[in-house]
Amino acid sequence: MATSNKKNVLDLSFSLITAVASLSIIFIIVGIFWILVRESAPAIHKFGFIDFLISTEWNPVKELFGAAANISGTFMTTALALLFAVPTAIGIAIFVTEVAPNFLKGPVGIAIELLAAIPSIIYGMWGLFTLAPIMSRHIEPFLQKTLGKLPVLEVLFRGTPLGIDILTASVILAIMIIPFTASIARDSFNLTPAVVKESAYALGATQWEVVKNIVLPYSKLGVFGGIVLSLGRALGETMAVAFVLGNNHKIATSFLDAAATITVTLANEFTEADSDIYLSSLYYLALVLFVMSFIALAIAKLMLIRAERKYSR
Amino acid sequence: MTLDIEFSVKNLDFFYNGDNHALKDVTLPIHRNQVTALIGPSGCGKTTLLRCFNRMHDLYPRHRYEGEIIFEDRNILADDVDLIKLRSRIGMVFQKPTPFPMSIAENIAYGLRLKGVRNKSELTGRIEQALKNAALWEEVRDKMNANAYDLSGGQQQRLVIARALAVEPEVLLFDEPTSALDPISTAKIEELVVTLKKHITIIIVTHNMQQAARVSDMTGFMYLGELIEFGSTEKIFTAPEKKQTDDYITGRFG
Amino acid sequence: MDIEQKRKIESIVALVFSTLAAFAGLFWLVFILGDVIVHGIGALKLSLFFNDPVPAGMAGGGLRHAMVGQLMTTFFATLIGVPVGVLGGTFLAEYARRTKYARVISVLADIIVSVPSIVIGTFIYAIMVRPLGHFSGWAGSVALSLIMIPVVLRTTEDMLSMVPWTLREAAFALGAPYYKVIIQVVYRGAATGILTGILLSIARVAGETAPLMFTSFNNNFFSWDMSRPMASLTVTIFQYAMGPYDDWHQQAWAASFVITVFILILTLLGRFVLKWRFKQ
Repeated sequence: MATSNKKNVLDLSFSLITAVASLSIIFIIVGIFWILVRESAPAIHKFGFIDFLISTEWNPVKELFGAAANISGTFMTTALALLFAVPTAIGIAIFVTEVAPNFLKGPVGIAIELLAAIPSIIYGMWGLFTLAPIMSRHIEPFLQKTLGKLPVLEVLFRGTPLGIDILTASVILAIMIIPFTASIARDSFNLTPAVVKESAYALGATQWEVVKNIVLPYSKLGVFGGIVLSLGRALGETMAVAFVLGNNHKIATSFLDAAATITVTLANEFTEADSDIYLSSLYYLALVLFVMSFIALAIAKLMLIRAERKYSR
Repeated sequence: MTLDIEFSVKNLDFFYNGDNHALKDVTLPIHRNQVTALIGPSGCGKTTLLRCFNRMHDLYPRHRYEGEIIFEDRNILADDVDLIKLRSRIGMVFQKPTPFPMSIAENIAYGLRLKGVRNKSELTGRIEQALKNAALWEEVRDKMNANAYDLSGGQQQRLVIARALAVEPEVLLFDEPTSALDPISTAKIEELVVTLKKHITIIIVTHNMQQAARVSDMTGFMYLGELIEFGSTEKIFTAPEKKQTDDYITGRFG
Repeated sequence: MDIEQKRKIESIVALVFSTLAAFAGLFWLVFILGDVIVHGIGALKLSLFFNDPVPAGMAGGGLRHAMVGQLMTTFFATLIGVPVGVLGGTFLAEYARRTKYARVISVLADIIVSVPSIVIGTFIYAIMVRPLGHFSGWAGSVALSLIMIPVVLRTTEDMLSMVPWTLREAAFALGAPYYKVIIQVVYRGAATGILTGILLSIARVAGETAPLMFTSFNNNFFSWDMSRPMASLTVTIFQYAMGPYDDWHQQAWAASFVITVFILILTLLGRFVLKWRFKQ
């Protein structure tokens, strides 16, 4: 009896320890949310919950702050990066699942995963030293000479091509998210049952028709989930863009303007904030970022779960 | 009575992965407007043989054909055969229903669209005709725009047959088409197979011997990649010449 | 031109584009890795591993302080993150198996894996740095551990779930209590999988910069003291690359090389371990 009691006590304590450890996830999420709200309270109070979000003011000297420039910078770089990354990533996924000969599938897959493992600071530094000069000397002048001459698009390519701008930051961000998007798209493509593809081939469809009419519709939920996941990651990416965006608190009107994202502002100014309201404003920025990316990631996750459930039947 | 020959399989050998010898020197005729059944235990090569007729093996690397399958005076195993054209003339129905992720109407229209049929009224007419031919029209006429996945398994299988029929193939290949279905759906499909042979040549792979006996005119018994015996269904099931065939159809197979 | 030909040409064009996309992806990998290797090896000197920095603007000096700082911060992060992650994953896969709680925690963990790491830095700043009044290596380790926990927890959960239930039943049948079954049987069955998760989680945090900037901050001097600001290679790269001196830039390349090689080796090792396990 005594030994069995001891057994029960040990069993119970082990289960309790593991239960507490699993609660750490809740603690992290609730803790972050609670602390960010608490710390941003002064800024919310002083500048207004909504007014802060739509104000373009960012003046540490006068202690006036608003998030509009940061939010627009975040959205612009993210949107542009997705525009570059999504077609490339889907192309990669099609190549790996449908086109590549077997001996290439593995190596290309590994290479893409290695690209995902490279830390963002490396992308950032590479962007500053290697990509930015190329952009300012070759690509941006070229774009100004071509797209910059078109009637409406012309606005987007105004300014001096310095290479430290939204375009360069978006290219780096795109390179960073391509691997995530591609590997999720590949996994979703692979959920398409071989026999359904075969029956399209049996009707005389070409390879591209099978991809377009069968594989893509079949996996669209998963692919879309992957895109939203990449969006969530791109919103919060710091180091890859911190080097090449210029930390300029103005709403950019051209792709060749320097700008600031929420993350870049935090990285550059957090440890230098010399007043409470300055720091609190930065916390409010962090809160906005946390909520935005949390929502995007949650939506992505739910879509991916549904995609998996739909076809695991 | 003499029968027209649709396919003539001559000394066919097939290899998976370079050296896995899956079909060994198979020779047989496939008669036009008849149902030919291929029977035999799992792994005997009957599905492998079936997939040679529309070159399904070409979707996967490291396969090799040797020998000939003559179709309209041409060897369809030749390298320069246009697989897209070939497959649009030889339909296939698989073990599990394989509706595409689109509506019922779009599923049927798919093969027609590939062939370039754009005219709306022509599409509608041919969709209806295909569904009637597959004995599904009455059940789906009111929900043509519903998702194909909403149909029952048996209905899905008839949808897939209708999809194959819509492009008016000369041949239909059935790969154990009823093994995932209930008895009532199975009976409907079998009935369909018998009706369809008026216009179409049918090859059906089945491991259900009663099914082969019920629907087919000719039967081939395969074992370990070889065609052991081929003849009229009646003869194969009543007076087989080979002992292996006899053992298999009487259920004494080891 | 008949319709079949048109369709075939369309197919070839589309597939050529997807091939080009794949090579574009590979092009960046080769470009970035190649650049890091060329510049990194060019700047790599043995002295970088044994010397500490000299005053800004002077030539020479090394990164010993940052390498040791990085290793210590990562080491203590692992020490916190791995046990919490493994135990938490155990609860989800064993005691809470197939419950709604386990599903919710799993999904939340997947989400915080991708939450912006800079936000975690601001969080730790508020709960550890400001109350204590100074940056510290500990704060850096805790920040990194918060990133590790969900990664380790999810892999542990997945790996334990793959251990067949009958194995547990066999152990129960011998009269073993559940905790012993888990520790002696289930962990053993899933060991290589969990190890992979740990390796990959270390690879993940070893390259983190943003959460360290407001926690362990940086330190230009060599230090073992985790309660003081602690240097790291990643923050040093940021500082040096943005700085004005050519010597700093060279060292930033060298540091990038070191950290990239370290992470790629861990990643490949993780994949290799997993492959090896599933071959058996």
